[in-house]
Amino acid sequence: MTAVASASTTRAARALAALQTRRLRIGLVIAIGVGVATAFGTVPQWLGPADQYTAGLVVIAILLALSFNLMLGTTGMVSFGHAGFYGVGAYSVALIATKTQGDAMTGLVVAPVVGAITGAAIGAICLRAVRLYFSLLTLALAQLLYVIAFQWDTLTGGDNGIHGIPVPEFLNDPAGSYYFVLCVVAGAALLLWVITHSPFGCALRAIRENRQRAAFVGIRVKVYELAAFTVASSLAALAGGLYAVYVGQASPDLMFWTESATPVVMVLIGGMRSFYGPVLGAVFYTVLATKVRNSTNYWDLIIGGIVLLVVLILPTGLVGAPRRLWELIEWSLQGFRGDAHRAPPVSAPAHLVPTATVTADAVTAGAAPPSPAVVAANGRAAAASNGALLEVSRLGKRFGELVAVHDVDLAIREGTVHAVIGPNGAGKSTLFNLVSGLIRPDDGRVTFAGRDITGARAARLAHAGLGRAFQTTSIFGGLSVADNVRLAAMAIRGDTRWPVGFVPSRHQERVDAVLENVGLTAYASTPARELSHGDQRALELGISLALDARLLMLDEPTAGMSPFETRRTLELLRRTIKDRGITLLLIEHDMEVVFGIAETVTVMADGTVLVEGTPDEVRRHPEVIRAYLGEPG
Amino acid sequence: MSLSTFFVLVVSGLSGAAILFLIGAGLTLVFGALRVINLAHGTLYMLGAFFAVSIAARLTGPAGFWIAMLAAAAAVGGAGGLIEVAILRRLYRRDHLMQLLATFSLILVIGGIVRVAFGADYHRADAPDYLSGSLSIGSSTVSAYQLFLIGVAIAVAITLWLTIYRTDLGRLIRAAVADPELLALSGVNVPVLFTGVFVIGATLAGLGGASIAAYQTVKLGIDADIVVQAFAVTIIGGLGSLGGALIGAVIVGLVQSFGTYWEPKWQLAFIFLVMAVVLAVRPSGLFGEPER
Repeated sequence: MTAVASASTTRAARALAALQTRRLRIGLVIAIGVGVATAFGTVPQWLGPADQYTAGLVVIAILLALSFNLMLGTTGMVSFGHAGFYGVGAYSVALIATKTQGDAMTGLVVAPVVGAITGAAIGAICLRAVRLYFSLLTLALAQLLYVIAFQWDTLTGGDNGIHGIPVPEFLNDPAGSYYFVLCVVAGAALLLWVITHSPFGCALRAIRENRQRAAFVGIRVKVYELAAFTVASSLAALAGGLYAVYVGQASPDLMFWTESATPVVMVLIGGMRSFYGPVLGAVFYTVLATKVRNSTNYWDLIIGGIVLLVVLILPTGLVGAPRRLWELIEWSLQGFRGDAHRAPPVSAPAHLVPTATVTADAVTAGAAPPSPAVVAANGRAAAASNGALLEVSRLGKRFGELVAVHDVDLAIREGTVHAVIGPNGAGKSTLFNLVSGLIRPDDGRVTFAGRDITGARAARLAHAGLGRAFQTTSIFGGLSVADNVRLAAMAIRGDTRWPVGFVPSRHQERVDAVLENVGLTAYASTPARELSHGDQRALELGISLALDARLLMLDEPTAGMSPFETRRTLELLRRTIKDRGITLLLIEHDMEVVFGIAETVTVMADGTVLVEGTPDEVRRHPEVIRAYLGEPG
Repeated sequence: MSLSTFFVLVVSGLSGAAILFLIGAGLTLVFGALRVINLAHGTLYMLGAFFAVSIAARLTGPAGFWIAMLAAAAAVGGAGGLIEVAILRRLYRRDHLMQLLATFSLILVIGGIVRVAFGADYHRADAPDYLSGSLSIGSSTVSAYQLFLIGVAIAVAITLWLTIYRTDLGRLIRAAVADPELLALSGVNVPVLFTGVFVIGATLAGLGGASIAAYQTVKLGIDADIVVQAFAVTIIGGLGSLGGALIGAVIVGLVQSFGTYWEPKWQLAFIFLVMAVVLAVRPSGLFGEPER
């Protein structure tokens, strides 16, 4: 009872603290927001005509940079073709206003639609590749758009582009056109803000942090990336359309590949990890470009030098400049980069401190009578799928000449703990990768809960109830511990499909319960990458718990752990997994772990199953001894 | 199309391929070892062309053309060495966004320096008489300079192949491509090796630029045009593969020359079309390996 009481007290205290920080932050954001809005809203009052014109270009650049950052800063996609879609928008407006019955306003409505369609098509091609190849493909395909605009001169006016786009009367007034651009951009920026802070946006950040993990919590990564690419392209086209309306022309130069670097540079200078960084970057870049280009011939040299400096010493951009400056000062004072700016270490919660009892528990766990929860779980399993939750039959995989896995049969009963052991190269990890869809098998079938999942993708497996952890810890390093768990809870329920909605308190009870389970309550708001190795493994387990996985596949859960951490993990597995009736399939080298919790042990050697049985049977089996110790004499 | 036209188009296509190979080979070699895509690789090519123009203008005599070409290539190689040591070396452990941005900023900085030093005018070097004319082969007439470009590329390809597969340096480069960390643990000075690889790549780009100084107009902006085509070459051939760069260059060169013949306006679009088709079938290019 005391434990419950103290838990609820700490929870209340934490909620209060969170509320206060949030209030402070919201207050700050509102203050800055009001200031910025006033500044932009009163531009015609305090700027001369030339600068007022520049201010309109700045506002358009802000939309270009913000739309780009949905890909770069939020999703982690490095596109080098954003200018292509900007140009598509500009030409949409120009062509509709000059070659059809429609006017520029119609064009402005059509532009984002055309941008979305082009974006979806080009994105679908580019997303066949990842990382650097993706970047090069976006560059090349956006350059194709340039070539089309440049060469199709009967339609686009070729090199000269289209000039003198007719616009409605109110846009001929400088203040009128400025306010019009400002309103459209404000609306689009609000839309981007909502998307970025929605469950969908949270899934995008998860993809940025860890694509593979994101897939294994049930996010269909490529679909989400394509959605982000399409939205970004659409809003870039809107920005381009605004440019055409504002400046009255569209030309192929807008789309040349080097122009695609402009939004990248804006976002880099401003800071990509903050929603507002791109705003700062766009203002800085556009104002500087206008001033320098008007007065000197050295724009290339100056902006090139700035980019180089930012890349080398200020990768967090202007938004991160104060903190970075502080780091540099600290660094020069201490002679090395200290960890002082990180969250101070929090002492481990009492229930995690290992005691002799925990160790004894762990060792006797295998022999202990099953808890009521386990019995209940077993009952449910029997009803669900005739006992075997996961069935592997005649599974085989060759890599060239090497037979990695051959003719493997495996049946995992629901509610049991099943360990796969074997010497190095026995095919354990390959077996895991075959079951979890990372590699397609050559032969055989994998059935999960009565459904054929042979070669199914990670996201589908997650939704079917199969969770997986990796040999090297796989978490969302940049998200807070609570958000790691929350994301899993949202993704598995399909919440992350929605580009609107508030994230911070979603599934809070679930998140609290899971964090309590894995003993990370004290670290809820710590960035996951700052946790110790053992805590990161615990968090990875927590992610799987939040998925409500029926089967959990763990690849060497105690690899690289100290004896203390190993015992703790063992305790954690025993308490949380078994009490919840989750079925566990694990690869493990540590025999203390295997014989501590496994009810069934499968021994693999040379890609096939050698022996299967209870830990005691396996331990005494002569073939197992031979496989591990070699032929006697 | 007559056979002689066909032959002329092939020669012209291969001469284009020769330039693209010089650039693409350096791009792909640098990527293979350093895992960095040098967006400024075309800018090194432009630098080579400007160097060749200004050196050739100061030299007279029959050997002037050749000296200017080799000296320009060497000078670009030296500039490449400086760039690697001063900038790229700090970025190997960073994500590829920062590498792309840093090399992009080099396009701007080097372009800015060239603008200050050479102005925005058009330049051209003079080719020796024996390369300026044309040759009759059978019933067709081909440009001597195009044959010269093809010759340069063949010589470079053979030299590169021998270097990579027949020398100790080549063995080290191949080892660096496979596993730079293991190579460092084996006692090899990997940073120096990387500088060397980048110098080789830069020299090739410089040689490419120097070879066209007497063939095409040398001006600001030729870097951004050529480097996109070089990307197409390496994407089609597969990043990191020298053989791929060769095949990719030949494909792009021939598509360009035949495309220009059939539909001059859309020859650039044809290149992207070929690229899209290749990638649809093999996302890592013809000879590339899926990215790890």
